[in-house]
Amino acid sequence: MSGIKASIAPVPTANDFLDIVLSKTQRKTPTVVHPGWKITRIRSFYSRKVMFTKDTFNEKLDAILSDFPIMDNLHPFISSLLNVLYDKNHYKLALGQLNTARHLIEQVAKDYVRLIKFGDSLYRCKQLKRAAMGRMATIMRRQKDPLAYLEQVRQHMSRLPSIDPSTRTLLICGYPNVGKSSFINKVTRADVDVQPYAFTTKSLFVGHMDYKYLRWQVIDTPGILDHPLEEMNTIEMQSITALAHLRSAVLYFMDLSEQCGYTIEAQVQLFNSIKPLFANKPTILAINKIDVMRLDQLDPERAALVRSIVEESEGKVKMVELSTYTEEGVMDVRNLACDTLLASRIETKMKGTKINSVLNRVHVAQPKARDDVERKPFVPEAIASGERKKFDLNDPERRRTEKDEQEENGGAGVFNIDLKRNYMLENDEWKYDVIPEIHEGKNIADFVDPDILEKLEALEREEEKLEAEGFYGDSDDEGSMLDEEEEAIRSAAAAIRSRQERAKALSQDKNKNKHLSQVPRKFQNRTLSQMAERMTAIGVDPSSVMARAELLAKAKGLSGKRKRGGDEDDEEQMDEVDSEEAWEDEAEESMDVDEDEDAGSSRRKARKSNEGSRAIVSSGVTTRLRSSTTALTNKSGGRISARAGPARVPARDRSSMGLRNSEQRDKSIRLHELSIRDRNREAKAGESDRKIKEKKPKWLFAGKRGKGTASHR
Amino acid sequence: MAVRCQFENSSEIGVFARLTNAYCLVAIGGSSNFYSTFEAELGDIIPVVHCSIAGTRLVGRLTVGNRHGLLVPSTTTDQELQHLRNCLPDSVAIQRVEERLSALGNVIACNDYVAIVHPDLDRETEEIIADVLKVEVFRQTVGENVLVGSYSAISNQGALTHPKTSLQDQDELSSLLQVPLVAGTVNRGSDLIGAGLVVNDFAAFCGTDATATEISVIESVFRLTGGQRSGEVVNELRDALVDSYA
Repeated sequence: MSGIKASIAPVPTANDFLDIVLSKTQRKTPTVVHPGWKITRIRSFYSRKVMFTKDTFNEKLDAILSDFPIMDNLHPFISSLLNVLYDKNHYKLALGQLNTARHLIEQVAKDYVRLIKFGDSLYRCKQLKRAAMGRMATIMRRQKDPLAYLEQVRQHMSRLPSIDPSTRTLLICGYPNVGKSSFINKVTRADVDVQPYAFTTKSLFVGHMDYKYLRWQVIDTPGILDHPLEEMNTIEMQSITALAHLRSAVLYFMDLSEQCGYTIEAQVQLFNSIKPLFANKPTILAINKIDVMRLDQLDPERAALVRSIVEESEGKVKMVELSTYTEEGVMDVRNLACDTLLASRIETKMKGTKINSVLNRVHVAQPKARDDVERKPFVPEAIASGERKKFDLNDPERRRTEKDEQEENGGAGVFNIDLKRNYMLENDEWKYDVIPEIHEGKNIADFVDPDILEKLEALEREEEKLEAEGFYGDSDDEGSMLDEEEEAIRSAAAAIRSRQERAKALSQDKNKNKHLSQVPRKFQNRTLSQMAERMTAIGVDPSSVMARAELLAKAKGLSGKRKRGGDEDDEEQMDEVDSEEAWEDEAEESMDVDEDEDAGSSRRKARKSNEGSRAIVSSGVTTRLRSSTTALTNKSGGRISARAGPARVPARDRSSMGLRNSEQRDKSIRLHELSIRDRNREAKAGESDRKIKEKKPKWLFAGKRGKGTASHR
Repeated sequence: MAVRCQFENSSEIGVFARLTNAYCLVAIGGSSNFYSTFEAELGDIIPVVHCSIAGTRLVGRLTVGNRHGLLVPSTTTDQELQHLRNCLPDSVAIQRVEERLSALGNVIACNDYVAIVHPDLDRETEEIIADVLKVEVFRQTVGENVLVGSYSAISNQGALTHPKTSLQDQDELSSLLQVPLVAGTVNRGSDLIGAGLVVNDFAAFCGTDATATEISVIESVFRLTGGQRSGEVVNELRDALVDSYA
């Protein structure tokens, strides 16, 4: 069932409606026609306005039409209630008129958009638009009455009680002023106006209550008078609708005291005339106001009349007495009504198909004993005895909880719980002991063993026992034999290992220089003495080569630069001589070279010259050269500092010529650097470099360009 | 009495708490409100312990236990385990379980005598359960759900299971557990019984969403009101249940 929408948007009056739509058109469409626009553009300008207005009308009317419920789709109760209250025909007519208006507006818009297409001037188009809007407005203005009616219906509908037609419902009915509203006020939280005159309640009222874990809806209806249905007014018809369409328990209230102004006979008569509405509904005859008049106090004739209702119904109607004034029997009436209704609802539900999915939920499976084991619940003594004082938040003497503590210490988010407070340890002082997680790279937890001391003791005892038994006694006797064998194996192993080492070293040595970069021979630092040494090593006499080197050196005029150094030079020279002689001896011994006089003398000469060249080199002019000599003499160090050939030493250092001191020299250097800076920046080769490497750079000459922007981009 | 409470706006309190007859584990939350609900009810009888498991707050879903012992998943850190050992009485054996289905609370449901477990649980785990918790172990499903712990709540006095458990299954489970059993819901129709309800032999806690009907079913089946035979209220409630469900 689709109910009534909780809130329907307000329906504007016809004039408001027009204002809303037209001002929206004004706001949301362009408003200015510029001179020089083509006629096509002007046409579309105006047809857009017309279409937009139509769309807005459409949208608004649609919203209204969809908001209001369609009566035929509603639950019969709500549908007929609306019929009673607003008149179904009127309601349908109003909505129908709005729907027609919508169609008309659509038609008008369509026609005028078509006409605007033939408009041949701005003026014509504008007039067509005006005409279109005018016609739409006229159509809308004619809907003044339906709109006003719908607005009223909306306001009334929003105040209707939200009655759920399918839930458990108690329906209270009876003559006016018999105490129906007093009853609903007593059993529910509803607050229905109660006054000592008839028709205080002019519409349906709903209250809710809880009974038997369920929620019940109680509906208070306006009083009914006993006259034919056609003569009933709207107020009474509401009651009749509710009685006719709601599946509920009906409580028919009677007032035997006749304080309501109606006789008992009239009340019984009313019951009988609306009896058809109670068919298939649990019905309860509630005799109210027993504080004034009870059934027993009534004269027998009239009492019999009242009782006849129950008798005629063949047990379908139950009678109870109550007084809403003294509250006597009020709850009994309620309970009886609820129980009968529930029973009847269950009866019908049990016949349905839906019940099967629910049956398993209302079944308590009882265990079948499968063995003799007794499985007792474990309820602590304090609770089982029932002596435990229940925790009560309002008791000032209550146990303190952590929440109390939290509130005292700044509340949630500030207060920090103490996790260790409730530790159960042998010694309470241990609670806050800090235990590292990781110690010396080991997880402490892996080594935690509560029995470790006992285990250690057991191990020690076993050890002692074994020792006492002589398990570890010395076993040297048989050791010597083993040792010899072992010695042999070990020495063999050592030999093998050392051979492997050697083989490995050899192979590594062979491959050592494979990946090193090769310095070209020209730049390799080779000295005469190195060469001599190498030649000696391979058994070739280097003296003649050395003599030639001496000669060459002389030819280049280097020997002339020689200056005698200090004492250390002399010493060096001495050393050289010594080593030279030592080598000679060695060579003579090792190599069987036959010597003649000439050879000997030439060699001696050569040695001298060699010494000379060495001396020249070693006593260089500049410090740079000096350092290179040291490198030469320290062959073992292997420093690379000079070229193989004789070094080219400029005769004079012209860079500092004509400069007074080093300060001036530095300044000149600085100025020079400054002067070449710009040129370096442009990657010029020198002062005279005027070359322009790229004449037409792509970025300057390619791509689109606007007017007058080609100078730069 | 069944107490309604919430853990940080969640009614699934069975996720954040584990209740047994000998102790109660509660997750560490932003405030003490949840903890104090348990503390107020149980604090003077059994230890109520703040803890985390594997750094998470899902204490109820990751652990399983009864008055004899507590099983925690392999992901529990050494520090958490030490904390639990310090907080729980010595009579409770604590054991870390190397189980692939590490949310032990979801795959195992037990009271002090019987446990029903997920059919795919390791044989070793099954043995550990039997040894540590001192229970009989049965591989069983609840309403064709393998997550027996999520869809049921068991105490020594009663059991509540998934609402779609068939009548046959109910009788079978009831006979296995040797307690009266009812199929029902918690937290306004949630079928995750284990997640919405924590219960032992003398107390029960459910989410704030739980309806009055659900609470009365719980109290009745777990015999928390005292006196009544288990499930008697369910018979009383029968009409109400039929009328509201069907």
